[in-house]
Amino acid sequence: MKAENGILRGELKVRGGKLIKCRMKVKNGRIEEIKFSGDFFMYPEEKLEELEEMLINIELKKEKILPIIHHFSENVEMVGADADDIVKVIMKTITN
Amino acid sequence: MTRTTEIYFHPFILMEFRLINDGWRDAYENMAIDEAILIGGTPTLRFYKWRPSAISIGYFQSMEEEVNLKECEKQNIDVVRRITGGGAVYHDSNGEITYSFVCPQEMLPKKIMDIYSLICSSLALGLRYLGLNAEHRGINDIVVNGKKISGSAMTRKYGNVLQHGTLLLIVDVKKMFSLLKVGKEKISDKEIKNVEERVTSVEKEGGVLDEEEIKRALMGGFEEKMHLRFYEGEITQEEISEAKKLREKYESREWNFKR
Repeated sequence: MKAENGILRGELKVRGGKLIKCRMKVKNGRIEEIKFSGDFFMYPEEKLEELEEMLINIELKKEKILPIIHHFSENVEMVGADADDIVKVIMKTITN
Repeated sequence: MTRTTEIYFHPFILMEFRLINDGWRDAYENMAIDEAILIGGTPTLRFYKWRPSAISIGYFQSMEEEVNLKECEKQNIDVVRRITGGGAVYHDSNGEITYSFVCPQEMLPKKIMDIYSLICSSLALGLRYLGLNAEHRGINDIVVNGKKISGSAMTRKYGNVLQHGTLLLIVDVKKMFSLLKVGKEKISDKEIKNVEERVTSVEKEGGVLDEEEIKRALMGGFEEKMHLRFYEGEITQEEISEAKKLREKYESREWNFKR
């Protein structure tokens, strides 16, 4: 794991798309804090902050994370990355 | 009711656009003016430059991860976060022209990719008027002979659309790399050469460097492709006072370092 001061980091270059980076703090198998960054596009932009809030305290299991992100993606338009890429970068960050 | 998007593409109806042929401003003012125009929604094409030279980062990017802040301070380069997504851009005071395009959302297609296609292919057409072999590629790039010469970013807010982007006139890849963090490793000569092979400029492609001629050509691309007609205009008092308020945000550490 690439952990500095308890912060996990991961990134994903979407093929034919953009880059998504993820920074995460984990506590007792749950997400304590998560931030995404990168050169992708998302409309409305402020929704990303809502997603980061929604993921707090969620168990670090794909089956728990997947429905949250898919539900979230129904209300945003993304370019250069999609909902599955967000899930992928989270999983990559954990297993790095 | 007739839908505006349909009227938009009608070959005999011209859309009136204000042209603001702006000069140099600093990063915070440039971003504040773009947002002030976006709020007002007056159909506008603005050309502008940056002084001091600056780096703008995409809305979702991390300032510390993307920008070599020490080097920027040393070289007197401003740094600012945009309201639009996309990547980090180095805006050299003398090496590029920036455009911004604003209009109500209903004047443009609904899908983001269709808006990029329309605006970027208009710009590419303008560059072809200058004899450059330009085309829209990928999501938001314009390439000449396969190499990137322009990148754009867009947002939709207040019922309006803002797309802004850069056109490289003269490019100094070494300088660009000293200011941007491209990777954790120090950039090798080989990597610089690599990027030099992927990025180009009007100068490198042998185009004219007369900025007024370049702007006229770009406007021509919009006129032809999107049936716009330009009238010369100014930034209004309302936009100026809105921009004054917005400037505080763009100057703030809270905004620039929020990611």
